[in-house]
Amino acid sequence: MRRTDELAVGVEATAVVTPPAGGYPVDSGDAGIEDPPPPEPPRYWPLLLVAAAVLPGTALFLVGQGVSKAALQAWQTVCLAVIVQATPFLLLGTALSGAINAFVPERVFTRLLPKRPALAVPVAGVAGVVLPGCECASVPVANSLIGRGVTPAAAFAFLLSAPAINPVVLTATAIAFPGTPLMVLARLLASLVTAAVMGWLWLWLGREEWLRPAVRHTGHQPGHSRWTEFRRGFQHDFLQAGGFLVIGAMAAATFNVAVPRSVLDTFSGSPWLSVLFLAALAVILAVCSEADAFVASSLTGFSPTARLAFMVVGPMVDLKLIALQAGTFGRAFAARFSTATTVVAVLCSVLVGGVLL
Amino acid sequence: MRRPLQVTLLVLSGLGLLHASLFTDLCLRYVKPGMRPLLIASGFVLLVLGIVEAAAREGRDGRKGHGRHEGHTHGAHAHGAGPHNEPEQHHGHDHSAVPRVAWLLLLPALSLLFYAPPALGAYTAARQPAKVVAEQDDFDPLPKTSPLPITLTDFTTRVQQDRSLAIKARTVEMSGLVTPVPGGGSWDLTRIIISCCAADAQSVKVRIYSDSIPAANTWVSVTGNWHPGGKLGTQSAPVALDAQTVKKIQRPSNGYQDALPFPSG
Repeated sequence: MRRTDELAVGVEATAVVTPPAGGYPVDSGDAGIEDPPPPEPPRYWPLLLVAAAVLPGTALFLVGQGVSKAALQAWQTVCLAVIVQATPFLLLGTALSGAINAFVPERVFTRLLPKRPALAVPVAGVAGVVLPGCECASVPVANSLIGRGVTPAAAFAFLLSAPAINPVVLTATAIAFPGTPLMVLARLLASLVTAAVMGWLWLWLGREEWLRPAVRHTGHQPGHSRWTEFRRGFQHDFLQAGGFLVIGAMAAATFNVAVPRSVLDTFSGSPWLSVLFLAALAVILAVCSEADAFVASSLTGFSPTARLAFMVVGPMVDLKLIALQAGTFGRAFAARFSTATTVVAVLCSVLVGGVLL
Repeated sequence: MRRPLQVTLLVLSGLGLLHASLFTDLCLRYVKPGMRPLLIASGFVLLVLGIVEAAAREGRDGRKGHGRHEGHTHGAHAHGAGPHNEPEQHHGHDHSAVPRVAWLLLLPALSLLFYAPPALGAYTAARQPAKVVAEQDDFDPLPKTSPLPITLTDFTTRVQQDRSLAIKARTVEMSGLVTPVPGGGSWDLTRIIISCCAADAQSVKVRIYSDSIPAANTWVSVTGNWHPGGKLGTQSAPVALDAQTVKKIQRPSNGYQDALPFPSG
């Protein structure tokens, strides 16, 4: 059973990387006409991600023959669990993104956000409080914000802060760390600062050409049904993001199953290594932001700062998010943005954790 | 990607979610029970999206006639600038062009419908250190019932933290799944706990000493007494039990919680 599935994945991967005719897999002509195919190299990165997801699983299968069936079943369970758990939030995010695109006039955002991008960044970061849910919802929303004229820097600040500082997540953090209310404050501060710094960093160094041309979000066109536009945008975004979610979930499940938790104890001794190690763990485990506080609270061998880094990095960078961002904004963006975010998030956690915890 | 395929993907995903959450309780193998209403709602939303998309297509095809339909389903795919400047293209900009990566959604949808992988079990538990229990200072007196139903977490706390040694000489009853331990002679009674989905699973374990070792992943109810060693009420005391009876049970529906065993008999 498993083998056939993996085979199917491999076939998919090949199908995905075949350079689509005309730059995009277009079946009605207009996009091809309006937007000539960008001179991109063949998009082979999904192959890399799928390979990263499949190869270790296959290796497991070959190495431990006694446990292989159980390992692959656990892999499948974790993979499906990540997808099932994320689907409602992805639907929420893509519905919201479709609604912003079809119903909200552009002037609303220009009025709400400060004119100067440098000021808009922290405001957008704080506005992340209003989007309850975990990180999958924020990627399509940030994309549609950019489509509606919000400066990308502010949209990215929102993208990073929303999954980390909304009330649901902060409440979960308070419950997971009953004795240390400072942990909630530290998480809020470190996440906000990271989001703002990343926004400013984009203003300073970011280049528009790293972003995939956002041809889809053209907003409401006069003479067309807003409902149809909403439905089609919603559907398109969900199908695209859903596909990338599956890739991300497969990669996350691979690491989740292949890296035994007992490895953790080796790193808990050194304060510096432990921060880096838990940050890396947050990236590969891809635990949803509503649950990562409980995981962090269980990592008792580690310093509070390391656990803070786990909770700050987790909602901002993880395998399924990287896949989602690559699918939405393009590979060039996702690689640079995720790397920079990880570095900034670790630094902010160390600073805030050093002062508060 | 062709429209009919988008419809198929949406409908299958919706059906998969509904199958796992509304018609069966398969979703409890992957997420917490609290997610269930959200999953049911998501399943309906996806199903409705697919049906509306199919109906919208029917409508257009109806206007355009049969020949148009043929052209769309067979000829339109992957042609960049085809002769398709019909009205439908003004609707969604290029929303009909969904990247092929969306195909991957078939895997979870079909998996939920036809082959749902089992809940996490011994394999996962064996590769994790036991979850650390919270510190507790005040302990209430234990109820008088015997055998005393108790959760694995409570048992761990009583053994390692209760200075009044109330657990000593008591017969307790716990239930969980069997995780084999290398070496033989003993095994771990295990409960896997999830806080959001199966990706964040943690496990609590109690070492069981019994004559026979049940097969891995069996759910059992165990009665017995604390297995002496170290100093009871401190971290040196082993979280272990000398089993008197080991009885097979059904997997409870709340299998991802550390719950009390069902009342025996």
